[in-house]
Amino acid sequence: MSDLAIRAENLGKRYPLKQFRGSLDFRETLTCHCARVFGARHDLTMLANPVRREHWALRQASFEIRRGEVVALLGHNGAGKTTLLRILSCITEPTEGCAEIRGRVVPLLDVGAGFHGQLTGTENVYVHGAILGMKKAEIGRKFEEIVTFAGVERFLNLPIKRWSRGMCVRLAFAVAALVEADVLLVDELLDGADAEFRRKCLARILGGAVREGRTVMLVSHDLAYARQLRTREMHFAGGRIVSDLQGIHQSNPGARNPGLVALESGLK
Amino acid sequence: MRKTAMGLAASQGRCVTETAGTGVCRITTNPPFSWAWSELWKGRHLLGVFLWRDIKVRYKQTILGLGWAVLQPALGVAVFTLVFGRVAKVPTGGVPYPLFVLCGWAPWQLFARGLMRSSNSLVENQYLLTSARVPRLMLPLTGVLSAVPDFAIECLLLLIMMFGYRVRLAPEVVLRMVPFLVLALAASFAAGLFLSAVNVRYRDVGYTVPFFLQLLFFVTPVVYPGALVPSRFRWLSGLNPMANVVGGFRSVLLQSADPAVGRLVDSLWITLGFLGVACLYFRRVERSFADVV
Repeated sequence: MSDLAIRAENLGKRYPLKQFRGSLDFRETLTCHCARVFGARHDLTMLANPVRREHWALRQASFEIRRGEVVALLGHNGAGKTTLLRILSCITEPTEGCAEIRGRVVPLLDVGAGFHGQLTGTENVYVHGAILGMKKAEIGRKFEEIVTFAGVERFLNLPIKRWSRGMCVRLAFAVAALVEADVLLVDELLDGADAEFRRKCLARILGGAVREGRTVMLVSHDLAYARQLRTREMHFAGGRIVSDLQGIHQSNPGARNPGLVALESGLK
Repeated sequence: MRKTAMGLAASQGRCVTETAGTGVCRITTNPPFSWAWSELWKGRHLLGVFLWRDIKVRYKQTILGLGWAVLQPALGVAVFTLVFGRVAKVPTGGVPYPLFVLCGWAPWQLFARGLMRSSNSLVENQYLLTSARVPRLMLPLTGVLSAVPDFAIECLLLLIMMFGYRVRLAPEVVLRMVPFLVLALAASFAAGLFLSAVNVRYRDVGYTVPFFLQLLFFVTPVVYPGALVPSRFRWLSGLNPMANVVGGFRSVLLQSADPAVGRLVDSLWITLGFLGVACLYFRRVERSFADVV
């Protein structure tokens, strides 16, 4: 059992749909108060959906993931993929269920997290790295590698607000990819990068999974790309995991991944 | 107790960042309350990074740059001198008015800036709440501490002014200022911490704080001496820690007696008590920050 990386039992997350007082905007507040003055029974909650007052973003998610597995989370928007990643990275609390994760978890859920528009690329590498849990010396050691991997040498001294979004994605991912993580949780970030960089990431993710037993959970809307690197697929719909296809190599995380083999033969 | 899912010694309670390959992090619906000191301690390197980022960003894309840090207090003192010194002729007991007002304004600004920045810190860093795992407490703490460099510049200005007015400065004065500084920072942090958490849910805080600070500014003897406060209101200064801080600064630096100083100990207790309550409240509500912000 010691090669388990993540185990989740009945994870669920409920969000209220009912608007609470603080979330009404100026017009809504005015309407409410005016309506009340004129005697209408205009309840605050009427503004929200009167039938369904709550929404389960995720329900009954149970699974076990071994070390070195690369799990692709697939499904439509709002199917619960990001919510699951948020729960697993301790950003939000589940409403029900529990989970256990072994080792250092590095979430990469948004490009913006950790980046400040006014700071230059170099400065942002240090801030972002620190937020992901690296010490200054560690970042300094890996700085060259990060920048080379991202391929953004020319723009390093430019404030990041002048960068293209794709460039930001590259830098954000490069930092996260070089953190010594046991579990890497990546939201649909890579969908915003170009084909060349995604190929690089593919090699990086698979290399990490095979050599260091790093577990990766990755959200993508690009099925073809996800299938190149995943060893396992989880399909989400309406907040539930509707199918969980475990790859043929999941029983042995040290085995050669078909995607990696394909990649290497492609490079030759 | 239930057997842990992985059959490993799981750490109880709140999720704690573990170093590579050592521990298991357990995620549950209702973790027992904990102060999570270890989480804070492990994230301590973030404090330096956030402070550095804050200072780096502050005067970016300005012509004057760091000049603003000097110009702001200088212009402030000039305006106060004109209005309260020349026009209103506030009695200062023989102390030149610019020196008198800067002596009170520097610690006041330390408090006010820290309070402003920390109460906005969580809302301004929304993306950190929703997509990164940083100890939440770091953000308001950074907000308060980021006011210290500005304060240092104001102190430098104060030193220059004292030299200009030939006011003698004994070396032990620096030591006697420490309790007042601690009080100012603690008061600023307590209020900032509490308000930052409330701000996450109710943005009303963002509109209330500047107004509240302006009110408190005039209640606190900054532009006028504490001796002008009628004696029947003086007991209130125990509740307004800044009255003690400002009074203390003047009495230490300018050797002028101030009635508020005697209440320093009361004020410290009240402030530390409130800080404890604020910490408790923050810990309780921070779990829902990502969902509410």
